[in-house]
Amino acid sequence: MNRSRFLKSAQEPVKAILGDRLALVGLFVLLSIIAMALFAPFLSTHEPLAVNEREEGSLFMRSVDGDQVHWLASSPLGEVTLNAADYRDGLGMAVGRDGVVWRYAGDGWSPLDTPITTTLNAVNIREDGATLVAGAQGTVALWSPDDTWQTFEMPEPLSVNDIAWRDDNTALLVGGGETVWLLNLVSGEVTSLESPVGRGFELNSVALDTDGSAWLVGDRGIALRLDPQDDSLSLERLPGNRELNHIHIADSGAGLIVGERGTLLVREGAQARWQSQSAPDSRAMRAGWITDEGHAFAVGRSGIVFEREPGGEWQLVPSDEERHLRALMVTEDSFFAIGSDRFVNRLAPPSGEHWFGTDHLGRDLFSQNIHGSQIALLVGFLGAALVVLIGANVGLVAGYFRGRTETVLMRTVDVMYGIPFEPFALILVLLFEPSLFIVILAVSLLTWRTVARLIRSQVLSLRERPFVKAARVAGASDLRIMYLHIFPNVMPLVFLELAIIVGVSIIAEATLSFLGLGPPQSISWGGILHNARLSGAWRDAWWWNLPPGLLIMITVLSVFFISRSLELVANPRLRARR
Amino acid sequence: MSTAITERLIGALGVPQISGRVLAVALGVSVFATQAQAQEQELLPSITLTTTTESYDPIRYEAAFIVAERWRELGLDVTVAPTEFSTALERFYDQQDFDATILGWSGRTDRLDPQFFLSTLDSRQSSPGGNNPGGYNNPEFDALFDQQSQAFDPEERQQLVMEMQELYKPDAPLIVLFFRDEVVAYNHDAFEGFEPMAGEGLYSEWGPMEAVPVGERSTLRIGGPQEPDNLNPLASTSVWGWKWMRLYYDRLVRLSADVEPLPWAAEKVEQVDDTTIEVTLREGMTFHDGEPVTASDVAFTWNYYLEQDYSYFNSYLAALERAEVVDELTIHFHLKEPSASFASISLSQIPILPEHIWSEIDDASTLSPSETPTVGSGPFQFERFDRGEFMAISKFDEHFYADNIAVDGVEFIIYADMEGVYTGLQTGEIDVTAWRMEPGQISLAESQDHLTVVNVPDFGYFHLTFNLRRPPFDDRAVRRALTMASDRERMVNVLLDGRGEVGSSVIAPVNTFWHDAFIERFEFDMDAARAELEEAGYSWDEDGRLMR
Amino acid sequence: MSSRSSYLIRRVLHGFMALFIIATLLFFLFRLGLPDPTAALITEGLNPEERERIRASFGLDRPIWEQYLIYLANILQGDFGYSFHYRAPVADIIWERLGNTMVLMLPAIVLAYAVGAPLGAWLSWRRGSKVDTSGIFVGLMFRSAPMFWTGMIAILVFGIGLGWLPTSGMRTLPYEASGFFDKIFTLDFLHHLILPALVVALYYLGSPLLIMRNTMLEVYGEDFIEMARAKGLPERRILYAHAARNALLPVVTQLAVTIGLAAGGQVVVEVVFSWPGLGREILNSVRTSDFPLAQASFLVMAAFVVTLNLLVDILYTMLDPRVSFK
Repeated sequence: MNRSRFLKSAQEPVKAILGDRLALVGLFVLLSIIAMALFAPFLSTHEPLAVNEREEGSLFMRSVDGDQVHWLASSPLGEVTLNAADYRDGLGMAVGRDGVVWRYAGDGWSPLDTPITTTLNAVNIREDGATLVAGAQGTVALWSPDDTWQTFEMPEPLSVNDIAWRDDNTALLVGGGETVWLLNLVSGEVTSLESPVGRGFELNSVALDTDGSAWLVGDRGIALRLDPQDDSLSLERLPGNRELNHIHIADSGAGLIVGERGTLLVREGAQARWQSQSAPDSRAMRAGWITDEGHAFAVGRSGIVFEREPGGEWQLVPSDEERHLRALMVTEDSFFAIGSDRFVNRLAPPSGEHWFGTDHLGRDLFSQNIHGSQIALLVGFLGAALVVLIGANVGLVAGYFRGRTETVLMRTVDVMYGIPFEPFALILVLLFEPSLFIVILAVSLLTWRTVARLIRSQVLSLRERPFVKAARVAGASDLRIMYLHIFPNVMPLVFLELAIIVGVSIIAEATLSFLGLGPPQSISWGGILHNARLSGAWRDAWWWNLPPGLLIMITVLSVFFISRSLELVANPRLRARR
Repeated sequence: MSTAITERLIGALGVPQISGRVLAVALGVSVFATQAQAQEQELLPSITLTTTTESYDPIRYEAAFIVAERWRELGLDVTVAPTEFSTALERFYDQQDFDATILGWSGRTDRLDPQFFLSTLDSRQSSPGGNNPGGYNNPEFDALFDQQSQAFDPEERQQLVMEMQELYKPDAPLIVLFFRDEVVAYNHDAFEGFEPMAGEGLYSEWGPMEAVPVGERSTLRIGGPQEPDNLNPLASTSVWGWKWMRLYYDRLVRLSADVEPLPWAAEKVEQVDDTTIEVTLREGMTFHDGEPVTASDVAFTWNYYLEQDYSYFNSYLAALERAEVVDELTIHFHLKEPSASFASISLSQIPILPEHIWSEIDDASTLSPSETPTVGSGPFQFERFDRGEFMAISKFDEHFYADNIAVDGVEFIIYADMEGVYTGLQTGEIDVTAWRMEPGQISLAESQDHLTVVNVPDFGYFHLTFNLRRPPFDDRAVRRALTMASDRERMVNVLLDGRGEVGSSVIAPVNTFWHDAFIERFEFDMDAARAELEEAGYSWDEDGRLMR
Repeated sequence: MSSRSSYLIRRVLHGFMALFIIATLLFFLFRLGLPDPTAALITEGLNPEERERIRASFGLDRPIWEQYLIYLANILQGDFGYSFHYRAPVADIIWERLGNTMVLMLPAIVLAYAVGAPLGAWLSWRRGSKVDTSGIFVGLMFRSAPMFWTGMIAILVFGIGLGWLPTSGMRTLPYEASGFFDKIFTLDFLHHLILPALVVALYYLGSPLLIMRNTMLEVYGEDFIEMARAKGLPERRILYAHAARNALLPVVTQLAVTIGLAAGGQVVVEVVFSWPGLGREILNSVRTSDFPLAQASFLVMAAFVVTLNLLVDILYTMLDPRVSFK
């Protein structure tokens, strides 16, 4: 009998919702959001917190429009990083990851078939067009213009980072572990040269000087000089101690070394000393080029390009996109910069790949928004359930028993009213650790007060009604009267409060997350907005701001629509007048 | 829901996860094989990696997850605990209750001297509250530390400092994660001539003196998200208080951008003997109220600081016995023991206070803001401080340096956060940012025609410190392996977008004279990390968990 | 003594009791739960002895019950103490911040109610029509959108995009004001007030609107309306002169409660608009463990809520004869 009474009291709200058009819309939206939360892993296109990186064979070309210089991105060469390039007499070569080799002839680029699968770091073209390539694990191979490949065995599987031709048959190879190898291409014989440093530092680049000696530069700013007479290496002192990535020496003897942290070392002529020059940006520079006249170029990470007029200051030159540029290739009439390492796809506007764009760390915002529904609903419903559970019981007990019980309970409610929400949540977070549990606790601790008051006042009038008095006369226990006779009558009000507090809790959770008090590494709509504001990028990235706010709004709105129809049940006088 | 999501939700709810094996043991169904193996080798304890909250510092927060991911790959059970800043500090320094913590030291000019950063590895600093909470203990290092602090010859001291870096580094007591560039900006349509200073950015004590107005307004406006706690030279404990007060109080010497002490209010500083330093004042200086600056004011100030026990300056005053007036313009500083840094660092930090005002004040630390005197003798004079809104000073025309100053005055506008600061910069409300911009703002600032973006390398560093008292960090091999397994390259590339540098030594590479470029770097290498552990006798169970 | 006045005295006593409990609760919560206020000084290079001295100067070296008694004694004398962080009297800071909060919240709330209540009355008159539905929809929509988000969008559109309105702070700085009223009686202040006040007002708009509408619907059923109708009075007159007057009580009650809670400000609005109000200050003071400032701010907010709830009760006892004075 009692069960049926409960069922009956539950029936009415359901009927009310089904009978109201706005409430039906609300119900439909809410169910969609619930479905979104349940199926979030299937709906999201990416791992929501994964940094999305891209890689490509970027190709930039220098263009001059009046006195405006700009480095323009052309369509990329394939999908893997290109690490080095060289050009001589109409033939250009670029090499990259997984043994990729691209060939450039005056009319454009084409991929070459190679027998190599390891990453290539270096390429150098001989006068006759034969090209030596080298890379990871001691890979060294020679390509001949008749399109044949010849590979060479190295004594150790160390990474080779750069190549210079000593003469037509001897190549100088430098690389990891302070390796300096002289390779005789005819005999295939390799001579290892002893480095005077001997600490296993990486050597990154080598260039021949006008006097036939060679400069080798690498890790910790070390520079070695190879004496052509006796093949001995000596340590040279250069300014600075940052890793040097690339050296280029022009036929005139002008030289440029670039390195980490915007390192730029310039030598104005064969006899001049290397001098450190100040760079307009402090990020890593990967490749440099200097002309006979001293016109210099340097490229580096994040699409940074510097240029310098002979004897002038280095200037930052605008480039199209933030790719990590790794090498320069200079032909008779044009300049190419190639790359790119894996780069983070930051702040990308909505596209086919990322429907809602990406954030400042290249994380997919569509997936984040989808996952955000989970926390919102979890806090919304769990919080509301807890609030109503506490609030309804306190209200019921206080209203029914009155007297001292009521005083204590209602004074507690008074105290709760005096505590502001956000600062109190912060204290909770400081006392414990930020977690979902704390958020729910904060939300429920400070909202049950309203429910308790409302239920109590309803109970106050109900307990004087004849049916309660009758039950008392019949000898029913207090508990029985409270929960079997009074409670079903406040059920509509409880349902109404439940619905309203779901909405309130969702907003409260969003507020806490927006203030950075939400659980760490969880994704919530408020948290997405928090990140957007914190990063400083929100004023441009509308795709970052709009969706989470809209989602909060429609979720809460749908709950409010439902609550409105419940209000009619709780307060029949409204219905009568509709 | 996929397991990953479930785990995250469970993790976020704070419910402890019980591994299958623990459950099995608890249920009394322990497998014999497991038991046999357990006698030989045990799982390593699970560890908590403490870091700051995301809103305090998103970079350190994300860095912790980058570290944790790789450590887990190595077979450790790692929990990342983002913690409110002061709670994290308290647990780290006072209670030393941590496994591994990510925190940082800011670069302040006086820390360009290697003394302070090296002291963070001194075992005598390892008691609770000290600067070496990790508890690194190397008697050889301590001995070298004492030697270098008494070495007067810079070359000799340099050798010792380098030796110390080579000595501690292979022990990996901490991971220097990265040095982060301060990226600041100024409006070059309004002011020019700024020279950035390492660790201080553009809002250094020199900045307002170098700025040259090129627009209509000749009052320099600086904007920042922090404000001084108060402007009482005997109560302020924040660097923001002192950055501002330094503009209107003179010091005897000033540090140049290369930490070269330059005579300022002092005409010359001479060493009389080992423990006596003679300072001769510049002639004709006056306070902002017109009273002359005399040797008596200087001696009074120093003795007053000794008496008033103002903790913030204690380290600068530690060596001082007392200051004595010799004549109108000459002061003798009597030291308790010879000190190399007194003449450079201490003399550059203590302001000159007017005796005729402060001698009336018995307990200076309890002055309320309205009672606090603001009369100094510096190149600028105090105008006003509206808490939470703005501060202003104006050029003091009687100052000996006044002719070199191109601005009329300086105003500091206090914003709620960097968002407000950036908006102010964008709309021309302010000319310079006092604090680094957020990564998202940098690219916006670069695209603005009227702004110049400046990258200033820092010598302060962010570190991950192991608690050497606790297993598994008591084992050098573990620390070394974990250092190799920390992908710091990724932090710099992804989190800082290349604007910074992978950490090497506690003495930063920008600190060229003291930095040792040839110490072990621990480049990111998972294989090397595994090899290191294997060599030290560690192994992995069938689930890839690390055992010993 | 009449039952009414003894009831009121009891209510006032209850209010004080609530405040006392809150004060005590917070005192111990802060001291036992928050980090050491000098912890942040470690990064400034202070050693443990130096920090201990600072703790002593804050009085934190005494036993906790002694600190508690001193604290209570001081509160009773109206002395909120010195802020650890600002080294200034807490009362000065709080009044200033509270003033800043109120000059934002009061106009916003008043605006919301001044627009919301008549609108609600009008909607009830047009009940069931499209106007009614869309009115409810709009009211609920602003109620559903988190204020910080509405604020961010407003800044983007009106501040950054169109450049019409300032987006942060209370006034254009540096502007020298000699006092609080000097600060707010300026056009510049009004200019700064528009965006944040609108955002707050839009959020609050929904509640007077719906309360008014629903109460009006109830009132329509009452006998005196039927009587007025029978007398042949025009609908508009019935609506505003008779029904609305009677429906105002719940709206006024809600207004008082809302104002009470407003003392704490809307922290998020203060954050988004860089408004130097009490809500932000209280977060900061908790973060920096500035106990005197945090305690006093909490207490002031609580006092506000308690006082206004009391006012509501008094209002009821005077206007609604059905309330019994138990």
